[in-house]
Amino acid sequence: MGLLSILRKLKSSPDQEVRILLLGLDNAGKTTLLKQLASEDVSHITPTQGFNIKSVQSQGFKLNVWDIGGQRKIRPYWRNYFENTDVLIYVIDSADRKRFEETGQELAELLEEEKLSGVPLMIFANKQDLMTAAPAAEIAEGLNLHTIRDRLWQIQACSAVTSEGVQDGMTWVCKHISARKK
Amino acid sequence: MVCLGTSTGSHIVILAGFTLLRLLLLANSRIKNHFRLKQQTRIYPARRLRTYPGDVKMFGYIWQHLFTSFLRFLFKWFLRHFTGKCELQRICSGYKQGAARTSRAEHSLESSKSKVLRAAVSVQEEHVEECAIAIMKEKKVTSQKDPVFKMSLQVCLSQICGYKGLYACVEDMRKQPFDCENNDHENRLLRLWDLLMPSVKLDSRLTKQWGDIGFQGDDPKTDFRGMGMLGLTNLVFFSEKYTDVARQVLSHSVHPKLGYSYAIVGINLTEMAYSLLRSGALKPHFYNTVSQSPKLEHFHQLYCYFAYEFDKFWIEAKPESIMEFNRYREMFHEKMKGLLEDPDVSLCLTLDSKQ
Repeated sequence: MGLLSILRKLKSSPDQEVRILLLGLDNAGKTTLLKQLASEDVSHITPTQGFNIKSVQSQGFKLNVWDIGGQRKIRPYWRNYFENTDVLIYVIDSADRKRFEETGQELAELLEEEKLSGVPLMIFANKQDLMTAAPAAEIAEGLNLHTIRDRLWQIQACSAVTSEGVQDGMTWVCKHISARKK
Repeated sequence: MVCLGTSTGSHIVILAGFTLLRLLLLANSRIKNHFRLKQQTRIYPARRLRTYPGDVKMFGYIWQHLFTSFLRFLFKWFLRHFTGKCELQRICSGYKQGAARTSRAEHSLESSKSKVLRAAVSVQEEHVEECAIAIMKEKKVTSQKDPVFKMSLQVCLSQICGYKGLYACVEDMRKQPFDCENNDHENRLLRLWDLLMPSVKLDSRLTKQWGDIGFQGDDPKTDFRGMGMLGLTNLVFFSEKYTDVARQVLSHSVHPKLGYSYAIVGINLTEMAYSLLRSGALKPHFYNTVSQSPKLEHFHQLYCYFAYEFDKFWIEAKPESIMEFNRYREMFHEKMKGLLEDPDVSLCLTLDSKQ
């Protein structure tokens, strides 16, 4: 037996696995957020055709994050990924005011889904590094988030490019997994 | 140490030494290949990664270190005295022009002890000839003794430096974001539409019609992202140079079951070509297909090959739905990397005679 394999065995038992679903319109910044979570380079991102998945270790959990393309054409496939979701992360391009209505509709439809009922919701008001970005409070009001009563939810201003705010959001996510998974 | 005499005794010693070193060299390439083969087993979808016991890996590193720092030079010293030629000369005369020769010359220059030789791999294109002369001076090679050496070396240097230059150009273009205020950018985008959809007029600049050629929303601007103008230029180049092929690929992409988003898949393939260029994996392809320094056009040509071949690959594989894209993309990527392992590789778009 090699030295390294002994060392590997000494490592603590595997973390609890958690399934996180990352949704939002195209160009919201889902893949950038995913790469930022995995501490990967975010400068060569291309539009997601289909989906990406990455596993990230965070605060005692193994987060399996599913990033599904946001293009209108593939939104009908979103429902194939709902099952067993522990946390839903919804990403919004805060600078794309023209599409606030569209993103609000998509979110409202997601909250109606039976398979996602009661799943904690984290909303990232992304692209806060842009001058034209709307503040999180304004988005929360526009989306009528205060009317959500059937689940835990939180909105977090962030910039996936600079990673500002991302950690705060993920701390909330991890805190509320434990509540759900017991 | 082995001395070079003329008596029979020293001849035997030389031969024995030569055989020993030859064996060491053979062992080294065996070891290298062994490790490389292990890496190749990572081919999708057989996802099981074989991990190596640490001590075997360590043996590999120690051997590599021993070889590069000591045995390699001993072997070279021996051959130099045995054949009367330096390593670069032996490479230039022993291998045919292309990746076989240039890759070896590049490796030889990079691992040389001489500063002049090491610096040669990053010489500017216009200084290639001076650099070749400097190398010949350093290695004491005269044109009388080896008349074709200088020319061969210059070709190698142009290719080696050209590849680096190409990467810099490609990187510049990638970093240039698509800008709606820039008329040139806008015109190129509209040209892409006209080339692909000659019989349909765009209703306006912002329209759902962009979805027909595979952009995501009503403004393609946001789809270029990390690939910037490189993504658009590749798309336009393919439609311009191979208009019929591009339209045919587009017609496949709107298939109700096997369809995919033409433009954004194209941008994803640009990313694949770009990352292969960046990692150096495309060297054998360019060394084999361009006898001077490769230019942007050659990179666009390679993109055309990718766009055409990926479409073929996708249609033949009959994936369940577009959601499978990344899995097949990865398989295609592995296939391309496999082709690039072959020193005789040349990824050129050849069309079936039926078309």
